[in-house]
Amino acid sequence: MRRAIQHFDLLLLGATVLLVLYGIIMIYSATYLSGEGGQSLWDSFFARQIIYALAGLGLMFLATTADYRYLENLYRPLYILTILLLLLIPVVGRISFGAQRWLGFGRFQPSELAKLLIIICLAKYLSDRSLRIKRFPQLLISLIYVAIPMVLIYLQPDLGTALILGVIWLVMALMAGARLRHIAILAFLGLLGTPLIWFSLEDYMRERIFIFFNPRHDPLGVGYNINQARIAVGSGGWWGQGFGSGSQNQLHFLRVRHTDYLFSVLGEELGFVGVLILLLLLGIVLLRILRVADLARDDFGKLIACGVATMIAFQAFVNIGMNIGLIPAAGTSLPFMSYGGSGLITLLLAEGVVQSILVRHRKLEFR
Amino acid sequence: MEKRKPDAKITVFRIIIVLLLSLLALQTWRLQIVQGEESRERANRNRFRLVSIPAPRGVIYDRQGRLLVRNIASFTVSVVPADLPPDREEEVIQRLASLLEMPVESRLDSEPSSLSQSPQLLGLERWFRPGIRDLVEEGRKTPFVPVILAHDLPREVAFLIEEEHLDLPGVVVQIEAQREYMGGPLLSHIIGYVGPIPEEEAESYLEGPGSDYKPHDLVGLTGVELTFEEELRGRKGRKHVEVDVAGREVRTVGTAMDPQPGYNLILTIDLDLQKEATDALQEGMTAAGSQSGVVVAMDPQTGEILALVSLPSYDNNLFIGGISLEDYQALKDHPHHPLVDYALTGQYPPGSIFKIIGAAAGLEEGVINRHTLINDPGVIWLPNKYAPDDPALAQPFRCWLETGHGPLNVVQAIAHSCDGFFYKLAGGYQDFTGLGLPTLAYYARLFGLGSPTGIDLPGESEGLIPSEDWKRLTYGEAWVTGDTYNVAIGQGYILTTPIQMLNATAAVANGGTLYGPQIVREVRDAEGNIVRPFRKEVVRQLPIAPENLALVREGMRAAVARGTGWRANLPGVAVAGKTGTAEYPGPRDREGKLPTHAWFVAYAPAEDPEIALVVFVEGGGEGSVTAAPVAARILADYFDLPLVPSGP
Repeated sequence: MRRAIQHFDLLLLGATVLLVLYGIIMIYSATYLSGEGGQSLWDSFFARQIIYALAGLGLMFLATTADYRYLENLYRPLYILTILLLLLIPVVGRISFGAQRWLGFGRFQPSELAKLLIIICLAKYLSDRSLRIKRFPQLLISLIYVAIPMVLIYLQPDLGTALILGVIWLVMALMAGARLRHIAILAFLGLLGTPLIWFSLEDYMRERIFIFFNPRHDPLGVGYNINQARIAVGSGGWWGQGFGSGSQNQLHFLRVRHTDYLFSVLGEELGFVGVLILLLLLGIVLLRILRVADLARDDFGKLIACGVATMIAFQAFVNIGMNIGLIPAAGTSLPFMSYGGSGLITLLLAEGVVQSILVRHRKLEFR
Repeated sequence: MEKRKPDAKITVFRIIIVLLLSLLALQTWRLQIVQGEESRERANRNRFRLVSIPAPRGVIYDRQGRLLVRNIASFTVSVVPADLPPDREEEVIQRLASLLEMPVESRLDSEPSSLSQSPQLLGLERWFRPGIRDLVEEGRKTPFVPVILAHDLPREVAFLIEEEHLDLPGVVVQIEAQREYMGGPLLSHIIGYVGPIPEEEAESYLEGPGSDYKPHDLVGLTGVELTFEEELRGRKGRKHVEVDVAGREVRTVGTAMDPQPGYNLILTIDLDLQKEATDALQEGMTAAGSQSGVVVAMDPQTGEILALVSLPSYDNNLFIGGISLEDYQALKDHPHHPLVDYALTGQYPPGSIFKIIGAAAGLEEGVINRHTLINDPGVIWLPNKYAPDDPALAQPFRCWLETGHGPLNVVQAIAHSCDGFFYKLAGGYQDFTGLGLPTLAYYARLFGLGSPTGIDLPGESEGLIPSEDWKRLTYGEAWVTGDTYNVAIGQGYILTTPIQMLNATAAVANGGTLYGPQIVREVRDAEGNIVRPFRKEVVRQLPIAPENLALVREGMRAAVARGTGWRANLPGVAVAGKTGTAEYPGPRDREGKLPTHAWFVAYAPAEDPEIALVVFVEGGGEGSVTAAPVAARILADYFDLPLVPSGP
C-alpha cells in the first residue's frame, strides 16, 4: 500500500481541489454577495457547495482505495441500476426549470451519476470486445447500449446531458479501436435523420439554436441570457471588475449565474487572467487524467480514464463556449465549479476511480 | 515492469484538448480584450438609468376657489414576468387571483367585475375578463416591463399584497396619482379629461423640442386639460439611478433634479351658476321634450364664461386610466352624442336673435334711424327677379304674426320680433333700399359670427355667414333678394354656434366691445402665486355709434318688458333679451310647419349688464316658450330673486 500511494497523482488532486475552491468562491459572489434570496450564510448555495465538495472528496478517496477492477464484475447490475434510476425520474422526479431532472429524495440528479455509470459499463463492454469492435455490428450494438439511457435522459428533457453521453460513446469507441470509416457511416446516417431530430426537439431547444445564429433577435426574451453573458465576460478586461463588483452579476442581469453562467461571473469579476487560471487548471486535470489512460494496466482502466476525460472536457467546452457565444445554450454546468451536489460529487467520484486505476497500474505491486 | 509505448490515439486526444482550451482562451481574449470597451459600455447602459420623477399635475378651481379637480392616490398591481420564479409561478398566480378576484384564465363573464365598473352592457352579452396567466404570458415578450393587472385597487387589498410581498415575488404595488373629477358630468365639457397619448399625436408629444413626455404618460385629451396641458403638467424631475435587472433602484447616483409641480387653474366658471344652469336647462328640455340643449353665461364686461352647459353630458371620471370599451361604445352610440359640446360645435340657424345684428347694421348704415317706420303687412309678395311683372311667380314672405304688425320703429320691431320689418330692412322692398347681403354679412362678421370665438376649449366650429359667391360656388345659383330676407331673420343659409350668439349679445350689452370669451381666469403656481393674471381679450371695438347700440338695447329691454321675451321678465332686475325660433329641416308637424329650435339671448341688469347668457334648446319649439323661462330661472338665481315672471 505504501508503494501504491507514491503513484497517487497529487498534481491531479491539487488542481481539482483548486478548481472546486475557485467554484465555491465564485458561487459566493454570484449568490451570497449579490443578495440572492436573503438566506443566511449557513443555508446558502455557498455553504451547501462546501458540504457537497467535502462529501465528494470523501467518496473520491474511498474510490481510490477500492480496486476499480471489482467494477468489471458489477457492470451488469450497474447498467440495470442506471436504467432504473433514469426510469424513476418521471415517477418521483420534482419539476424544476421545466425539466424533471431532480429525484425526489435529497434533490439528487440521477442523470449526473448515470454519466459515470455508463462510462464504466461502456468501458467494460468495449474492453471485452477489443478486436470485434472493428466490425460494424459490434459498434452498432455498443451505440444502442448507450442510446437507451441517452433517450431516457433526452426525454426528461435534458438535451445537454444526452449529448454528453453521445460524445462519450464516440470517443470511447474510437479509443477502443472502432474504425473511423464506420463512425463516418453512422454520422452520415445520423445526418439523414437530422430533420427527424429537428422536429422532435422541444421548442425551447429549437429556439436556443435559432437564437444562437441570431443573437440580437428578441434581446429581452430567449437571447437575453446569451447577450448578457457576453456583456458580462466582455466587460471583464484583463483583470476584471474586481471580486464582488461585477455589475452584471451583482445586479442580477445574469441569470442562473451560480450554475450555467458561473463562468460569466468569473469572467466579469476576475477578467482574462482569472479565465486563464481556470483554463490552466482544467488543462492540468484533463492531461493528468489522460496520463492515467496512458499508464493504465488494462483496456478497462484506459477506457474509463478516457471516458472521464471526455466527460469533463466536453462539459467544460460546451459550458464555457455557451458563456462566450461559441455554442448554443444547452443548460450544461461548468465541471467542478458550478453549483450542484450531484454533478460535483459524481465528478469527484469519477476522479477517485481514475486515481484507483493509477495507483494500480503496476501489476507487481498488488496481488 | 514492461515498457509500454505511448498510445497514439491518446496523444491525439491530448492535442485536441489543448486545442479546445486554446480556442476558448482565444475567444475569451477576443471578447474581453478586443471588444472589451464595447461590452463595458453595454454593461453600464444596463445598470445606469436616467429616470424621471413625475410632477404632480395642477389642480383646478372654480372662480370662488372651490376645488373641481384633484389628484388622489391610486394603487396599481403589476407583475414583472422576469421576476416570477418559474417554480413558484403557479402559487403566485393563484394567490393573486384570489386577492384581486380575477380569473386565472381569460374568460367571458356574465357579471361585471367588482374592480372595474361597467354600468351598461350594450350589445356585448358578456364581459371579457382577462386572466392573470394570459396577461403574464403576454408580458413575457418584454419580461422586464411590469404587466399591470389591476388599477385603482381598494386600499386594503393593496396593503395585503404589500404585506405578503415575500410570498409574492415579482408582484409590484405602485402608487400613482390619479385625477378625480369631483364635478363629474356637471363640468365634463369644460374640464375634459386625461388619457394615454393618442397614437396619431405620439410624435408631436414625444419628439417636440424639449419634450419630457414618455410613451406611457397621461395627457389632457380634451377640455382645459388639453388646452392648458402645458401649464398643468409641470416639469418632471430627473435622477440617475443604478438599477438591478428588474429595474428596481439600487441607489441614486449624484443629486436628483426635483420635479416642478404643474400650475393650478382658476376657472372663470361659477360652480353654483353652473349647477343652476344645468338644472334649469334640464327642466326646460324636459318640458319641451328635447334631448339636447345649451346654456352659456358670460360676464359681458370681461368675456369671462360664468357657466357653460351642454346637455346631454358624460362623466369624465370614466376616462381615467382608460375607458372601458363598453362605456366608450355607450357614449359613442348615444343618439345625442354626450361627448359633443354643442355650445361650441353645434351650428344652427340663429333665428330671430340675429335681428339684433340687422338692427345695429341698419342704424349704423343710415338705412333707418330711430324714427323710421316700416310697415309689416303680414305677407310680403316678393316679385320674381326674372319676371318682375308676373304676380303668379311672386314669392310670399310671412311674418310670424299672420295679421302683420303694421308700421313700427326699430325698438318695437325688436321687441315684437317683427319679421316683416327686418325683411325690408335687409333686402329692401320696392322703393325702399335695404342693407343688402354684403353689408349685412359684414356686420355679422364684425359681431364675430362666421369664425371661432377663440375660447380656450378645443373643437370650436366656425358657423357660416353666406355670401353671393358662396351660394354660386355651393349651389350654382345666383343670390336672390329672398335669400337676403331669410338671412335677415336668421334663417336660410346662416349658421351660428351658441357661444357666437352669446358673444355678439355681450358686445351689444357692453356698448360695443367684442371680447374673446375666456374659460380660465388665472394660472397660479403650487404656492398660490399668480403666474398668469386675468387680462381681458379685446377682439375688436365695434365701429358702431353708441347711440345706435343703445337703441338695440332699448329694443331688447322692450322685448322682455312687453314683447316676445316676457317670460324672462323678473321683478327686481331689468332683463333685456331677444327670443329666437329657428326652423330647421326635419319632420313637419300636423299643420305642415317645420320643427324649430328655441333660442333666447339675454343680459341683465339692462342699465349696467353683469351677466349675459344664451339658452338654446334643440327642437325646443318657440324660443319665448321654451328658452326664455330657462334664462329667467338662471337669472333669478344669479340675482337672488324670486322667480315670478310677470305678464306682457
